[in-house]
Amino acid sequence: MNLTEVEEAMASGEYGPGIEKCMSILIRLGEAFGAERMVRIASAHTMPKEPPDLLDEMAEGVTQTGVPTTLHSLMSAFDPHCWQKMGIPEEFALQELSNYKRRLDIYRRIGFYQTYTCLPILVGNLPLKGSYVSWIGSGAQLLANSLIGARTNRDGTVANLATAITGRAPYTGLFLDENRHAEVLVALDRLDPYQLTHTDFGAIGYYVGGIAQNRNIVIDGLPRELDFDQLKYLMAPLSTSGSVSICHIVGLTPEAPNLPQALGNRKPSEVIKVGKEEIKQTKALYAEGKSDKVDMAVFGCPHCTVAELKTMASRLDGKKVGNNQRLWVGMPYQMYYLAQTMGYTEVIENAGGVISSGCMAMIPDSPVPYGVKVVATNSFKAAHYISRLTKGQVKLLIGDMETCIDAVTGGEWKGGNP
Amino acid sequence: MKLKGRVINGGDAKGEALVLDVPFSFIGDFDPDTGKLAIQGHPLFGESLANKILVCPSGKGGTIAPFIAYQAWQKGNAPAAILCTKAEPLLCESAITINIPILDNFNQNPVERIKTGQFISINKDEVTVEE
Repeated sequence: MNLTEVEEAMASGEYGPGIEKCMSILIRLGEAFGAERMVRIASAHTMPKEPPDLLDEMAEGVTQTGVPTTLHSLMSAFDPHCWQKMGIPEEFALQELSNYKRRLDIYRRIGFYQTYTCLPILVGNLPLKGSYVSWIGSGAQLLANSLIGARTNRDGTVANLATAITGRAPYTGLFLDENRHAEVLVALDRLDPYQLTHTDFGAIGYYVGGIAQNRNIVIDGLPRELDFDQLKYLMAPLSTSGSVSICHIVGLTPEAPNLPQALGNRKPSEVIKVGKEEIKQTKALYAEGKSDKVDMAVFGCPHCTVAELKTMASRLDGKKVGNNQRLWVGMPYQMYYLAQTMGYTEVIENAGGVISSGCMAMIPDSPVPYGVKVVATNSFKAAHYISRLTKGQVKLLIGDMETCIDAVTGGEWKGGNP
Repeated sequence: MKLKGRVINGGDAKGEALVLDVPFSFIGDFDPDTGKLAIQGHPLFGESLANKILVCPSGKGGTIAPFIAYQAWQKGNAPAAILCTKAEPLLCESAITINIPILDNFNQNPVERIKTGQFISINKDEVTVEE
């Protein structure tokens, strides 16, 4: 591999043992996969679940990293500020807290921002089109590659950490133009995009991801006015049912000014048609049973925006979450503060909801509170992971936010079979 | 029998082979607290990987796998080396994180030539299999 003088010095220990270890990991990985050089990255987003000793080793001697770095959610519902309210077992929480505090000391020293969110875009981690970045989290990676047109590989957590600390990444994979074109074309079949709900968008993503698997896709037929929440619900499931890295949208995302360019002037290897029937069938995967008693409603997978909290607060105004029922919301602290100044969090919390910076898809890792057998959510990603992590012990229902809220505030589940 | 491969992470290692017929990940397929294989329904389910030479076709997803490999290594439950038909980024990253040898691209397919229980020694790019 061709290294610059500075990179050579990093690898030979001149910048301390942590940088040396990180650089050596990146060189060995780069060489294994044919990278000829390193590139500088513009931002990083890392996974705050490092075994503390490993983080210690990789950050030894580091006082400030080269690039702005945000932190992902803690990968369970656990949040150091509200785990008691959520009914998370103390034994689990104490173990998490001890590791959390050890890591926190290091993050403060090296300057990793305590954002604890799966949506770094929400908290100001915003690279530019063409920037090389290293982001962890399949949803965050997909949004960086697709919506922003920044370039991130699907690094593992250690390569990602090494990249954040050194500011360098092997020039390989999705950094290269030729690996960024779409292979699969998604055509909307007689759908009015202006009539689609968030769960409709989620169903489209979940359906398409299952077919596209790891191939890049381009969607044709969506208007450029789609807002961030619509795009978020559309894209997150693509890397849940599949492992799509890039989702271009013609006329909307930065690398897809038109269809031929998004496809790299090639013919698509497959065309996936999505119409009303596909959406209906996909929703039915998590909708059987009409009159279930919902034990918990879950929102914020990916993390909620302030706009969603406004919707949630208006629906919850004057209502109470029922006895033995729960309402959990995932959102980063920084957005929580904004929602608080808008008066939304007060309404939600007074109604009995809990707002956590945790990961709503990985709830079973904290683990699921006793007695929760039926969970309603507006997120296909959350439904997918919660049902699999609990091995089917918890039943998942998909419905729009309002439907889910009503089912835990005195009403019945009205989603049912579409 | 001797095999020659490509060294991705170098080093010498010796141990008993554990041969898998499916791609492996440290997350999901493996319990770092016990070192045992956790692939549901697999004939080798429950076999220990600790200090063995893992032989497998490739790796697979699970971005957090390198952290799990490190946890296992701290407890003495990690394999001593990995030999695979064709390496995949996350398996390499896991091996590099705990600095155990990982080799791929052999002159003969290790998954077909090596049997579970055979004694293996790795010296640079050369793998000796006792018969």
